[in-house]
Amino acid sequence: MSGPRLRPRAERRRVLFGGFGALAALAAGPAAFRGLARARGRRSATRAGLALGTTVALTLVSDRPEVVEAAFRDAFAAIRAVEAAGSLFRPDSALARLNRDGRLEAPDPLLRTMLGFGLSLAQASGGAFDPTVQPLWTLWAAASARGARPDPRALAQAVERVDWRGVVLEEDGVRLARPGMGVTLNGLIQGFAADQAMAALARHGIADAFVDTGEFGASGRHADGRPWRLGLPSRNPAEDVARDHRQERPRTLAAVIDPFAGFAATSGDDATVFSPDRRDHHIFDPVTGRSPTALSAVTVMAPSGLLADGLSTAAFVMGEEAGAGLVAGFPDCSVRFTPKV
Amino acid sequence: MIRDPGEVPRDGFFLLRGEERLRKWRSAWCDWATGIAVLVALLLTPLLAPFPAFAGGLDRAGLERLFPAPLVVGERDGHIPVWPILKQEAGSYEVFAYAFETIDFARIPGFGGTAPNLLIALGPDGTFRDARVLSHHEPVFLEGLGSEPLFAFVEQYVGLSAKQPIRVGRPNARASGAAPATTVDGISMATASTRVVNETMLAASLAVAREKLGFGGAQLGLRVEARPEGDPLPLAALERRGWVTVWRPSQREADAAFAGTGLDDPEAGEPDAPFAALTIAYLNVPPIGRTVLGEAAFARLMREIGPGGHAVMVVSTGRWNPLPEAFVLGSVPERLTVQQGGLTVNLRDAAWERGDLAPGLPAGPWTILRIAPEAGFDPASPWTLAMKVTRERGQIFPDKVSRDLSTEYRLPPELFLREIPEAGPGWTEAWRARAGELGIIAAALGLLVPVLVRQRGLVAREDAFSAFRLGFLAFTLGVVGWYAQAQLSIVTLVGVTRALVQTGDLGFLLYDPPSLLIWAFVLVTLVVWGRGTFCGWLCPFGALQELAAWLARPLRLRQITVPPRLDRALRGVKYGALAAILLSAALASPLADSVAEVEPFKTAITLYFVRSLPFLGYAAGLILLNLFLYKGFCRYLCPLGASLALAGRLRLLDWIPRRAECGSPCQLCRVRCRYGAIEPSGRIDYAECFQCMECVTIIHDPHQCVPQVLAQKRGRRAARRPVAAE
Repeated sequence: MSGPRLRPRAERRRVLFGGFGALAALAAGPAAFRGLARARGRRSATRAGLALGTTVALTLVSDRPEVVEAAFRDAFAAIRAVEAAGSLFRPDSALARLNRDGRLEAPDPLLRTMLGFGLSLAQASGGAFDPTVQPLWTLWAAASARGARPDPRALAQAVERVDWRGVVLEEDGVRLARPGMGVTLNGLIQGFAADQAMAALARHGIADAFVDTGEFGASGRHADGRPWRLGLPSRNPAEDVARDHRQERPRTLAAVIDPFAGFAATSGDDATVFSPDRRDHHIFDPVTGRSPTALSAVTVMAPSGLLADGLSTAAFVMGEEAGAGLVAGFPDCSVRFTPKV
Repeated sequence: MIRDPGEVPRDGFFLLRGEERLRKWRSAWCDWATGIAVLVALLLTPLLAPFPAFAGGLDRAGLERLFPAPLVVGERDGHIPVWPILKQEAGSYEVFAYAFETIDFARIPGFGGTAPNLLIALGPDGTFRDARVLSHHEPVFLEGLGSEPLFAFVEQYVGLSAKQPIRVGRPNARASGAAPATTVDGISMATASTRVVNETMLAASLAVAREKLGFGGAQLGLRVEARPEGDPLPLAALERRGWVTVWRPSQREADAAFAGTGLDDPEAGEPDAPFAALTIAYLNVPPIGRTVLGEAAFARLMREIGPGGHAVMVVSTGRWNPLPEAFVLGSVPERLTVQQGGLTVNLRDAAWERGDLAPGLPAGPWTILRIAPEAGFDPASPWTLAMKVTRERGQIFPDKVSRDLSTEYRLPPELFLREIPEAGPGWTEAWRARAGELGIIAAALGLLVPVLVRQRGLVAREDAFSAFRLGFLAFTLGVVGWYAQAQLSIVTLVGVTRALVQTGDLGFLLYDPPSLLIWAFVLVTLVVWGRGTFCGWLCPFGALQELAAWLARPLRLRQITVPPRLDRALRGVKYGALAAILLSAALASPLADSVAEVEPFKTAITLYFVRSLPFLGYAAGLILLNLFLYKGFCRYLCPLGASLALAGRLRLLDWIPRRAECGSPCQLCRVRCRYGAIEPSGRIDYAECFQCMECVTIIHDPHQCVPQVLAQKRGRRAARRPVAAE
């Protein structure tokens, strides 16, 4: 009667192996996690691309290979939809049309969301965050191309055209109250794109993902079970220069957020600079028309990318004290300041 | 029964009249109606069937094979079919190249009528990072030279910049001194195809570059030259106008550039003291160059830099000197760069001997920066002179930090002549380059026409005419065929069919001027005389067969006699081949290229018999067959001949003179006709006539033409009488 005995023995063996497996997992820790992840078929996949004037990259973990392509496709489509609504890198975006025509009928819902958030943040920050600083950008970019700083009179005129209250968001459209105004959502669009990409991945049942749209978002864990981590690069320009010179790749990290879940956005003086010393760059104080001088970078952690991105811009303009106060008013948000060296 | 002899036209132009003409047209129309119906059906089929979109077909998997790790194939652009190829750099991504298929941006029909498709990876700086042929239908490469030479041709672009016009040179052009940045080596026998590939690559790359890299086509081929006039001016006047600039960055500006680095200038003076002083002058403008260099030196410099080149002088008189003592004449200066439109302009020191500067210029180290024509530099637009300042920290292994200080220099556009890029499309060059061949061929055609028209001239003198004919055939084979590569081919009709169906652009025909000239001539003679003018006189392979047969004459080879019914059936084969080729071409099937191989022209004429054995055997076999079955290929197989025979039904003239006795009772011409183009009734089958003129010679020769000989014997003059062949 050998046949019937085979089964129980096999079961016993499986139980035995299972037990050993659990013990080994406890003993060997992360290595075993990785093994288990493989055994469970959890694979991580990364897809990079260009959007919002920068490179974006999505990493997801899934045990269902068949959803991966569709998830990537939809997540990139979500990013492109955000671009089409509010990117100034695209001359045909809804925002670009608003700036060109001064008004826009039936705006894209995504544009409405971003504008609505931007205007409420402008109010909350006392105007430190202002989506209407675009004329300043235009002026500084033109001056920078000449290798100069803008003429003070022209700067004063541009500052006069900056006022978030001039953006009138109505039921059926948006309009700009005065000619010469210009709206930019660059202070929050990358964070919003991270939100939208993450949501698109979630719609495909993907719980573990890391998105980089220029700002960052993470949910769940790595394929091997480790939490995601986010390194914040060092902001010391001298160190940068030395590194450039030595042709070293890795940036030294000022800090590592570990574990990282939720969204993080950094506003720094090194993204688009108008002067080599980073005194003049892409973040403007709406009052002076110049870049705030106190800080080198602000990183905000928040439950949404939109919030993280908007708050980091606002806090950069407001400075350490007032900025921390602003962020404290939003639940589950934290902020990290890097002063100028 | 003898009719009025007065109707004999002098030169054999027998115009059809009245009823006869009507009858002829009616029957021709019946043939044509069928033909046209078939053609229309042929052309409509692809329109009715869902036609495949001719867009690029590469997907992610395909691209990942072409750009393997560590490169990353990014998500395809949302607007245009361009894939960013990224590389990972310190945790973030950088663009390595933009990959795209040319078919999506520039669809230039190749010599086979179908546009070639290439994969191009264009770097962010506009250089070709990769270039590969994905598909092509260039007949000369397909099964001819093989595709390898084309692949090698395309590989030459890797490393070149799409921002400059690139020309296809002669084979080995680069080795023999052509500018390597703007010239690629051509392929002999494939001039037209390589030009099409070149245009495709540049046009597609520019389209992508404009979209993704933000540089326009403005610089491409643009020529801006200083107006040649203008006398020297006092240096002070030049400075006042800003034509000679003195740039004096202050110590403060220099320090500002290093702000945040913690590096100080050990020799710093007062903040407002000048850090450096550079006098900058663009020398090509005569008032500037003549003032600074003097008349003679200016002329010499302009000669040296050549047309399209530029010279910029920089004199350093300040404390910080961008031209250190170690600076080597003729080298690329390390500390000085010229930038325009965000791009660095290539330059080097002109190695100009020191010592003959204008006395007005300040003393100090100087350089004349020489900018080559290929640099795409536009002196009429503002540009930037930057100097690289380096500061050090530390003693043993000093940490060097560099910063650029820059100033803008601009001259009024009125000082320049702008020549918008030569508007002439690519094919004009082909016509210029082959003007000689065109002239020779045109002259030969000019010689041929009067000979054929004047039937009582050379044609009537048997020996002289046969010498002329052999000579002309040798010319057709040697010059038209082997030298000028103007063998007309069914491949052209395939190309035309494909182009009409797919793009409607017949421009590719313009790239092969000698063939086009002969096509034009053939189309005219088709209407006048029928297919014979081409098949009997201008087809190089036909000439080759005839010459081979002539050489083999002493062998007295026994000719194969084809029974009339079989002969008629075999004649139909060529129409079948034609239909198969054109149908598959219209259906965009690559089969057309294979079936077109029924023509041995590529083997025998285009490739000079340098080809793989099966093709060689086929072509040689046809020539051998020709010795036993005269021009068997032409009469039974040639699809081009078939197409000409069909079109030849439009012929206006029945130009071969006939007599009442022709066919009944006389059969001399029918027997002598080596093409079987004369029916027993005496009627000429113009669709099979090769215009060898033999029967014309006979009919004009009273010693050969049987009725005339008989008439002479009978002592009375037989009247010749024209009967229009029916």
